Amino acid sequence: MAKKDDKTQAADELVKVNKWDGSAVKHALDDAVKTCLLGDRPQLKEQFGLVNTRLVLCALAVGVAIMAHAWDFTHPFPQSKPVLLFSVLAYFALMGVLTLHTTFREKGTFVVAVQKDAGTKASRTWEASSDMKKYDDKYMLTLGVRDGRGQREQTSIKSCAAFIDANGIILDNLVANEVNRLYNSLAAEKKDK
Amino acid sequence: MGIASILQVDEMLGDFNRMNKRQSLYQVLSFAMIVSSALMIWKGLMVVTGSESPIVVVLSGSMEPAFHRGDLLFLTNYKEEPVRVGEIVVFKVEGRDIPIVHRVIKLHEKEDGTVKFLTKGDNNNVDDRGLYAPGQLWLTKKDIVGRARGFLPYVGIITIFMNEYPKVKWAILSILAIFVLLHRE
Repeated sequence: MAKKDDKTQAADELVKVNKWDGSAVKHALDDAVKTCLLGDRPQLKEQFGLVNTRLVLCALAVGVAIMAHAWDFTHPFPQSKPVLLFSVLAYFALMGVLTLHTTFREKGTFVVAVQKDAGTKASRTWEASSDMKKYDDKYMLTLGVRDGRGQREQTSIKSCAAFIDANGIILDNLVANEVNRLYNSLAAEKKDK
Repeated sequence: MGIASILQVDEMLGDFNRMNKRQSLYQVLSFAMIVSSALMIWKGLMVVTGSESPIVVVLSGSMEPAFHRGDLLFLTNYKEEPVRVGEIVVFKVEGRDIPIVHRVIKLHEKEDGTVKFLTKGDNNNVDDRGLYAPGQLWLTKKDIVGRARGFLPYVGIITIFMNEYPKVKWAILSILAIFVLLHRE
């Protein structure tokens, strides 16, 4: 009966996934972590720099492709050869840059937030990233913090079954526990230093 | 079985509904990038081979036993390699879109480099003058799409099938598009 109450009170956010679909589970857990991290901490402001870079690169690549197609359409093939050559090279170069960005810069990060302490100029950047191998159930969550003095991160490796019930519903309170544990641990360590 | 598939769609839609603006934009861009990649590979092949249609499907049996209907042909169109009698070329008659794959049987070459070809399908009894535009007796360089350099048997049957049943083609493409747009990564 308690479940029914949950459903009516938090009716807007009850997330159900196909528990056998690893990719859907990972994405749902990422979303839950993000909601928990940012939900109760108004001092954290989400930053979209990484995602925006990725979107801009994609948009540029698609733009090049559209332009090449339009040019070839209006100037039938043999005349459009130099433009096509340039477009093809540019397109695959952009794809290369995009791949480098996703592999080395983004690396599974799904939320970046900046914490600005009132009164001080110092700000801290929090980053959460996750990894879950294809047919594995271990959800590896890494929370990292970076500020003027350096950076630290903490990882929690738990089975995704620890956060999802038998029907595939994500249990936000269990996720929140884990997130809070990592966050407080990192925040405390920073303060000590 | 039907219920299970409905539930799967439900979850996929749930995934989709929970996407924020950036996620949705990324889904659309991912789809656009798949289409663009295919397009760019095709254009790249055009540039590398010098032909406006680097891969064609044999549509008739006029070149049997060398090529059969449904074979995939790879073409090049390099200016430095002149077409010679006996070579198999793909050409388009002015006013018609369909590429024709036949062999060159006669050739006239002038000193300034202009060439005139006559073609005939191996499996045909007459030469191609009946296929050319009214009044046209010879093909010129600009009618040639390319020379056949290599082939893959049977692979082109899918293209022929999709062109004969365009509704099947659109149905398959639509399903693929919807799947790519809704599925997160």
